[in-house]
Amino acid sequence: MVNAAPILRMVNLTKQFGRLVAVNDVSLDIQEGEFFTIVGPSGSGKTTLLRMLGGLEKPTAGDIFLRDERVNQVPANRRPTCMVFQSLALFNHKTVGQNIEFSLKMRGESRRARRERGLALMNVVQLPEDYYDKSVTKCSGGERQRVALARALASDPDILFFDEPLSAIDYRLRKLLEVELKDLHRTTGKTFVYITHSLEEAMVMSDRIGIMQEGRLIQIGSPNEIYLQPRNKFVSEFMGEVNTLAVQAGADGGIDCPAFERRFTSPVKPDGFTDGYLVIRPESMRFLNDPSEAENHLEGSLFNEYALGSRVQYHVSAGGSMFVVEKLREQAYQGGLNDDVLIGWDAKDSVLVTD
Amino acid sequence: MENKRWVISLIAVWTGAIALFLYIPIFSVITSSFGKSRYFRFPVKAWSDKWYDQTLGANLTTDLHLTSFYVAGCVALIAVVLGFFGALAFARYNWRGRQFYQRLIMLPIFFPQAVLGLALLLWFTFVGVLPSWEAAVFAHLVWIVPIVTLVISIQVYGFDAAQEEAAYDLGANRWQAFREVTLPALAPGLFSGALFAFLLSWGNFPLSTFTTGADSTVTEWLYTKMGSGYTPMIPTMGALSVFGAIVILFGGYMFLIVQRRRRLERNE
Repeated sequence: MVNAAPILRMVNLTKQFGRLVAVNDVSLDIQEGEFFTIVGPSGSGKTTLLRMLGGLEKPTAGDIFLRDERVNQVPANRRPTCMVFQSLALFNHKTVGQNIEFSLKMRGESRRARRERGLALMNVVQLPEDYYDKSVTKCSGGERQRVALARALASDPDILFFDEPLSAIDYRLRKLLEVELKDLHRTTGKTFVYITHSLEEAMVMSDRIGIMQEGRLIQIGSPNEIYLQPRNKFVSEFMGEVNTLAVQAGADGGIDCPAFERRFTSPVKPDGFTDGYLVIRPESMRFLNDPSEAENHLEGSLFNEYALGSRVQYHVSAGGSMFVVEKLREQAYQGGLNDDVLIGWDAKDSVLVTD
Repeated sequence: MENKRWVISLIAVWTGAIALFLYIPIFSVITSSFGKSRYFRFPVKAWSDKWYDQTLGANLTTDLHLTSFYVAGCVALIAVVLGFFGALAFARYNWRGRQFYQRLIMLPIFFPQAVLGLALLLWFTFVGVLPSWEAAVFAHLVWIVPIVTLVISIQVYGFDAAQEEAAYDLGANRWQAFREVTLPALAPGLFSGALFAFLLSWGNFPLSTFTTGADSTVTEWLYTKMGSGYTPMIPTMGALSVFGAIVILFGGYMFLIVQRRRRLERNE
């Protein structure tokens, strides 16, 4: 399946608005049945990219192929794709049923066929049947998500696009909907292309993730690859809180950290590495009783601690910078604030990235 | 709790007093139209419906109301069409010169109506349009279209343009998206726009007086009569005109409701 022809192919895709280059030379293949997520901060061009794929925006340069057919000029209403918008864009003057059946009505299907399919889809997205005649304005946030999803599925599109549909939803419901969305991806077998600014959300759902920065796709990989081998500082910091130290390649294979005047043991260096950053995740950082317990260590003092439920996070001040250490609750640090502490890590738990 | 009840009753009394103060004049016009006296009096001492007999019996009454109705009806219809597209340009699309347009469109509202009426009369004469109720329609439109545009714009501002995109994305062409999504979503704004247009035109005097020529609307007649010789037909005509407007608007509203019912039933 991995080597089959891609369902969606972008070749040097570029979009300019006046002098602003929103999407810059993006090339990407998306496979049939894949859950692909594009992650980036706001303004990184991910929404523009998705709008081009959906036919709501025309590329300035480059090509889009849908199953080997060039679709640059094909408008949204003639593409076998469907989008779930950030605002959901439900038709507020219509009922739940009328919203879901909109695409079928546009195709001229009979009222009976529409109703049958509409009710079946409501079942798929777990909306109760008596919602059929309810106005969408009377639905809750989660119910509106389900209506939008059912509406997008109604035309049986080849690809479903999602433009951050969960960004305005509270945490617990979002977690629930993430899981449901991933399950829906399994049951329908359709290709999902999802965009979000939350890498955490992307990790939960995606087969592959693409990271966007300033209009460019800077890294593509599985959630594990992105997590374990971020390509640059931007990607590593996008993952959430990490500890970064500016370092240079030193003699005898180690790395020098000018800020602490220390030499650390080095993880595998990227080709031609001269200077960059050493990244250590909070959960890889440990409290030490003695410097010999880890390959590298730093002296600091415990500045503050935060309970995160199953985990506890510590901020340790060392050499004028703040380091983050995270432990499971059962392995919490036994001591008080302002204690002098030793923190350390092993080279295998750190990553070297360039700027 | 005790305290709260006090405050609520105080608010109720205050509100009642304000309403009384504002509505007594209107109420007194209506009561005096049912009075026997030849003069405008309040409270009414002796009751009679003879002024209604006289007013309703006169051909004049029908003519005046028909003229007012033609003018207000045409104004409402044209103003809603112009105002709708004007509002889309005002609030929906971003284009070069939109800010200038937004200011330009407000201009007639700030202009004193009497001066505007005179200016329009001079302009009509210059281009060779004879003053008549049709000319008055144009005069009213100059002042009312901007207002209707603003009223509809409020609805357009609240419209999520992504709904149109969603319609395209779900297979609708431009016309289908307009008919299925944009128009129904903006319908409440169009309705209030039409309501405003009708009422503003129905009650307008300064523009009508300069531009209707030989035709006369209800308000014009009322004003002229008050100047040239009071008769109790004035409050009677005023009351009739209010009833007329209520009947027309309420009738129109009922018509829309029945239509919607029918459409919903057909969808069942």
